[in-house]
Amino acid sequence: MSPDATVGIVLVSHSAPLAEGAAELAAQISGGTVTIIPAGGTDDGGLGTSAAKVQRAVKLADSGAGVVIIPDLGSAVLTVRALLAEAGDLPASVELADAPFVEGVVAATVAAAAGGDITAVLAAAEEARHARKL
Amino acid sequence: MPASCEQAITLTGDLHARPAGALAVAAATFASAVSLTVGATRADAKSVLGVMGLGATSGQRVTVAADGSDAEEAVATIVAILAEATRVGA
Repeated sequence: MSPDATVGIVLVSHSAPLAEGAAELAAQISGGTVTIIPAGGTDDGGLGTSAAKVQRAVKLADSGAGVVIIPDLGSAVLTVRALLAEAGDLPASVELADAPFVEGVVAATVAAAAGGDITAVLAAAEEARHARKL
Repeated sequence: MPASCEQAITLTGDLHARPAGALAVAAATFASAVSLTVGATRADAKSVLGVMGLGATSGQRVTVAADGSDAEEAVATIVAILAEATRVGA
């Protein structure tokens, strides 16, 4: 890992606008210094998930410090798991976060912006499950 | 040398998501543990969701506390961010 590399984030959603919107929000809150790549929708633009989109997004998000993937629901998780199990053409350090989608990406991105390593960024995403809004 | 430091500030605006993010990023750069307390609610300043969960609004008194080798600098930095970020019109 190069000393200045920041952990990248990939958002996997059934909906392209949902992934894009969550990425935009997290970028604003964290100051825009972290690479967040949305991978939403199917290859033809419909609702669903695409392993090819996720694979491209992970490669784009990696700057040497690894990538944390945050899925929305159901088959987004299955798509990422299947992709990671193939362990083909992907960066060495990729983690799938068990986290709420919006809170998870906001917490993960702030942790990455603060210089956290992949373990810290993954933990921040997963701890988001316990955050109360009220 | 471990040290504790604490300072309170009255917010002049609401603590929104963006300043909460800036605050958490800044807090995470310090070795000290840093907390924010509003009324009976306390949050880890390094947790953006915790800071947002305080729901701190204009007129509320926020106590910034730090414990560790750089506690004094941490409190000064976080208080300055709170003052700047919640300024009316910011």
